[in-house]
Amino acid sequence: MLQRAYAGLIAAAVISAFLASCSATPKTGIAHGEELFQNCKPCHGEAGHGNLELRTPAIAGLPDWYIIEQVTKFKGDLRGANPDDMEGHRMRPLARTLYHPGDIENVAAYVSKMPSQWMPPTFTKGDTAAGSVTFNGVCITCHMADGKGNKDLHSPPIAQQSDWYLVAQLNKFHRGWRGYSPEDVYGGQMRAMALTLADSTAMHNVIAYVKTLPH
Amino acid sequence: MLEHYLPRASSFAGDIDQLVWIIAWIVGVWFVVVEVMFFWLMFRFRKKPGVPARYITGKEKHLKNWINIPHNIILVLDVLLIVAAIRVWVLIKQTMPPADHTVKVMAQQWAWTFTDPGPDGKIDTPDDVRTTDEMHVEVNKTYHFVLESMDVAHSFFIPAFRLKQDADPGRAYTGWFKPTKTGTFDISCAEICGIAHGVMGAKLVVETTQEHTAWMQAHAADAATADAGASAPTDSTTAQPASQ
Repeated sequence: MLQRAYAGLIAAAVISAFLASCSATPKTGIAHGEELFQNCKPCHGEAGHGNLELRTPAIAGLPDWYIIEQVTKFKGDLRGANPDDMEGHRMRPLARTLYHPGDIENVAAYVSKMPSQWMPPTFTKGDTAAGSVTFNGVCITCHMADGKGNKDLHSPPIAQQSDWYLVAQLNKFHRGWRGYSPEDVYGGQMRAMALTLADSTAMHNVIAYVKTLPH
Repeated sequence: MLEHYLPRASSFAGDIDQLVWIIAWIVGVWFVVVEVMFFWLMFRFRKKPGVPARYITGKEKHLKNWINIPHNIILVLDVLLIVAAIRVWVLIKQTMPPADHTVKVMAQQWAWTFTDPGPDGKIDTPDDVRTTDEMHVEVNKTYHFVLESMDVAHSFFIPAFRLKQDADPGRAYTGWFKPTKTGTFDISCAEICGIAHGVMGAKLVVETTQEHTAWMQAHAADAATADAGASAPTDSTTAQPASQ
């Protein structure tokens, strides 16, 4: 008798679980984006503020259009496919996991709504006066005087970003590890701008200035 | 039959398949025999009215043979399996036929980078052709590969070649293969290596000599151009903060 009762209970539990899974409505929009963000957390952190040890940038609060553009580039090998781009190699396959229509838009919508945080400087070197000259002569055209970027020019906000990440990206653009594809029009533009920086010192100077912008 | 589902595209793929078949047949047949015996014995000596259960010690020779004979058969089959496995191991892992080409394979989270030596046949020279997630080789040529990992444990797996080799950071593994069939085949990572392990795939393109030469020339020219244009600053790309 007791055995039959146990068997009945187990059968009821299995059937209930099956019916519950059938009736679960797939999430959409930002709620779906929040689900997808679980795959971003291991590298970009719970709050999306990045991780220096993993060389992952702060993404919380970035504009959704910029996130969509970049994830699409990773997915299409326009970014992260250079054999030397170690960090890009990590991001590229994860971008490929966003294969359902709307996945990229949903996760971008969620990330763009996350609270942004100004990342404090980590470099001790960098001449802000010299960097100011470069910034106001070159970068300002697209990234604007406040470093908040310009959607019409497809330039992202940089004022809040970690300085180590910005210098690393300048290096990548300079070396052709980013902005290498003729199909990546805006990346190509940025590569041309990065090539105006003569050396590593010039990169540190301009990023040191960026970190002085109001936030 | 295996070839029907997964093409054999390397010189030793048939040997691996043969070993798999030997193991599958021996273990499979033995499994069926044991299960038939097991269920037959259960049925034969099932509970019957008026027949009391009794404990069998197994000391009598005719009963002990039920253990001894299968035991000895298993030992003989084990030796057969070991001989077959060692033969394949020596053929593939202990023997390195002279190489026509050597390629470098670098694994990292979560991509494969392949370095072909280019027209000069030497790795780490300006005409090297480096590709990400795409490996081009020439059919009927013997390749040595030098496999390394940049970060964590990976496993270089080419199912069509029946080739699988672990890669651990800090160690260079040398192996070989000889493609025997042209076409495009999968490369994947067969060692859990992080969140994107499942999508750490690459493409293997086995080409004819003419196709491979054309590919090589096109990409060697690209490599030379890229090398000439490299004017990177001295800092590392990851730009370690000075204060860290």
